[in-house]
Amino acid sequence: MTSDITTPFYQYILDGGNGLTPKEDVLYGVRQDALARFRTLGLPDLKTEAWRYTNIQRVLKEQPFVLQQQALPVTAAQLAPAFIPELSCYRAVLVNGHLQPELSELPAAKDITITKLSEATQQKGFKTFFDKHPHLADQPFAALNTALFADGLFIELKANAVLDKPLHIIHVYTLTQHAFLQPRHLWIAHPHASATVIESTLGLHNDAVAFVNSVNEVVLEENAELWHYNIQNAVQNSRHINQTAARQETYSRYHHYNFALPQATMIRNNTSVALTGSYTETDLHGLYLANGNQHVDNHTFVDHLVPHCNSNELYKGVLLDTANSVFTGRIHVHQDAQKTNAFQQNNNLLLSEKATINSQPQLEIYADDVKCSHGFTVGQFSDESLFYLRTRGIGAEAAKHLLVNAFAFDITDQVHIPALQHYLTEEIRTVISN
Amino acid sequence: MRNSNEIIDDIANKEYEYGFTTDIEMDIAPAGLDEDVIRFISAKKEEPEWLLEWRLKGYQAFKKMQLPKWQHFDMPEMDFQKVSYYAAPKKKKQLNSLDEVDPELLATFEKLGIPLNEQKALSGVAVDAVFDSVSVATTFKGKLKEMGVIFCSFGEAVREHPDLVKKYLGSVVPHSDNIFAALNAAVFSDGSFVYIPKGVRCPMELSTYFRINAQNTGQFERTLIIADDSSYVSYLEGCTAPMRDENQLHAAVVELVALDHAEIKYSTVQNWYPGDKDGKGGIYNFVTKRGICKGNSSKISWTQVETGSAITWKYPSVILQGDDAMGEFYSVAVTRNKQIADTGTKIYHLGRNTRSRIISKGISAGQGENTYRGLVQVGPRAHNARNFTQCDSLLIGNRCGAHTFPYIESRNKSATVEHEATTSKIGEDQIFYLNQRGIDTEKAVALIVNGYAKEVLNQLPMEFAVEAQKLLSITLEGSVG
Repeated sequence: MTSDITTPFYQYILDGGNGLTPKEDVLYGVRQDALARFRTLGLPDLKTEAWRYTNIQRVLKEQPFVLQQQALPVTAAQLAPAFIPELSCYRAVLVNGHLQPELSELPAAKDITITKLSEATQQKGFKTFFDKHPHLADQPFAALNTALFADGLFIELKANAVLDKPLHIIHVYTLTQHAFLQPRHLWIAHPHASATVIESTLGLHNDAVAFVNSVNEVVLEENAELWHYNIQNAVQNSRHINQTAARQETYSRYHHYNFALPQATMIRNNTSVALTGSYTETDLHGLYLANGNQHVDNHTFVDHLVPHCNSNELYKGVLLDTANSVFTGRIHVHQDAQKTNAFQQNNNLLLSEKATINSQPQLEIYADDVKCSHGFTVGQFSDESLFYLRTRGIGAEAAKHLLVNAFAFDITDQVHIPALQHYLTEEIRTVISN
Repeated sequence: MRNSNEIIDDIANKEYEYGFTTDIEMDIAPAGLDEDVIRFISAKKEEPEWLLEWRLKGYQAFKKMQLPKWQHFDMPEMDFQKVSYYAAPKKKKQLNSLDEVDPELLATFEKLGIPLNEQKALSGVAVDAVFDSVSVATTFKGKLKEMGVIFCSFGEAVREHPDLVKKYLGSVVPHSDNIFAALNAAVFSDGSFVYIPKGVRCPMELSTYFRINAQNTGQFERTLIIADDSSYVSYLEGCTAPMRDENQLHAAVVELVALDHAEIKYSTVQNWYPGDKDGKGGIYNFVTKRGICKGNSSKISWTQVETGSAITWKYPSVILQGDDAMGEFYSVAVTRNKQIADTGTKIYHLGRNTRSRIISKGISAGQGENTYRGLVQVGPRAHNARNFTQCDSLLIGNRCGAHTFPYIESRNKSATVEHEATTSKIGEDQIFYLNQRGIDTEKAVALIVNGYAKEVLNQLPMEFAVEAQKLLSITLEGSVG
């Protein structure tokens, strides 16, 4: 905390944080605790193990950041490019983290609540779920979010509720000055509920820098199921730190897909799942496609606390130009978590001389009757494959595209909505062609 | 047949087989560390000025450093001022033959199954026995001398071959590398020095038996092996230590230098006192081992079988500087009771077409903790670098832990790096199969574990392979997952 950049920023945040919440707010205590926690944890630097490959100072240069930014008007025409073609879905539009009902198309079903988080705080039982995920406690940016967040999206699926169409959440960022934003979401699926949620980003902030530090808590109760797609297609001048923390009860299924695409300067995902009920299924799938000077950092953590859980993790990366990527996948199997199946795989394709990859696939195992494995590879196209395609009359460029698509196919093929799958395949094609 | 719980209990309670102490008069430095102690050590060893300077530099670095915090275990409290930094068997007149060696000392080696006599001649092994800190006897010198091989104690090397020592000492593990290496630089007692001249293939396996003996004395060995152009050497290191209540710190440093087309094979069997079943006592094995493949097409291979020590914490590393150089790391680490092993390797690919292979097998039983931690780094110049890493963990019992923390950093697009890790237990079906073939459970486990570790054991030289296999069986016999 001695550097020129972080010290004033750290102090600035602490000063800003102190005045934000009125004492009568229901969350006043929680926020004060979080701020104290942030003060103890401090801003991470390269000596912090979890941040050893991601230099946060690099993206703090555009100070000062404002800590709160209300929604600015967004027109329907501005919004249209963010839609996924031919996808029949509900829509929730958040501008700078604030839900805009007039731009959104929300389900009418009575057993499904989709509202502003700030409105839900008064609800009975809110505090039993809010900021309760065990993995958030030691993450400095999650603490910061709890202390400073303005608003976000609250989704509650009552028992047996089924969302009949996917919900597409569009995070719009429109700014006139550099902002450090803290959206906060809480999604709860009560027993036997199920839903599909797709998140994507629309950046309208041009020169102003959007530093987004979001936290998304997901609770899956018994036998609930959630398909969660996160498409990170932010524009330049964006830095995203995204903490997704899910907790799963017995028989629940959580399918998380993360697509990190150009052009955000920095993306850091902390995706963690705590398995607190047995017989759960967890899929963590990710594709990162980075170009330019991008820095993409995926941290995943699967915490097997109880027996008989299955987790399956596959992250694939394609790096172009001077892009830089980090993958840290941690699987922790506790002593009680016998009969665990936990698999993890991270494959990378380096397509440029200057791209770098840092990977730490980690296993931490305290139970003996388990099946756990992890794998990591990095490489480039095999000359044989390219040669084979060329002998079949396919040009060098086209052959490369084909191979990249084949590499990404393992992930895109898992997408269970055809329109979304098509959209993503096209996005990947566009990036590679350029 | 006994049931598996009984067998596991047996193993958990098993006493250390090689525990005994030898009474020999010691020259011991008072506990504590300051410049005077370092000067005392240096003076005792009649060292030249430059070496004292180097020791003092190490001490200065040591003073500035703090114990690391990233390791995957609770660091025992360590008071560096309570350790005595010098102990040597009392100096007697120059020894001319083995007969002049203290008979009690010879008996100690005898008990360890290390016949420091003619039997060794038949087995073709030259032994440089380090008893605590000072080399007592060196055999086979004559034959090695004929070929120009230098194999002697570190102290002797400083006297006889100062140029070589000066050139390479600290060139792989600098005096300020880490806190234990800095401590070693400041207070290192003795160790082994090997120089293989150009084009020579060392005719025998060189081996040194380390043994910690004096109470409250850390061992600070320093080994330096230099293989000149197109030479080859295989070096064995094996350890057993007597039973002690107080923890003993072992912070050795091993430096390997391989020049053009040279090959160094370094094998370790480590079976120091692991502490009793509550984890009391036991050796702290905090060793810095690093080799550099300086020349083109050179090769360094580390093989280790780690069954002892309360805490084993080391990462034998290879810097692949020359083009087409190759690094290998084969490891079997067994932990039981409350033993901890945090071990692995670091491979730095700097040159073109460099290759490395890492095979690590961890076996955890009782409440043992076994961690593989490794780094594979591919630099921007390392075109066509190739790495393959495999680390497997075997869990025996449900109170133990097995962890894998690899770090992979690739900065070259033509590099291919692969890492895979698995965790499993001994299958009941495997045991059952062997049982119904008339093999009892104890033997079945030994068989399976030896099969599991075979890839690594195969890398050991013949004599060591037998010893290591026996050691694995003894350590784990009968445990059923």
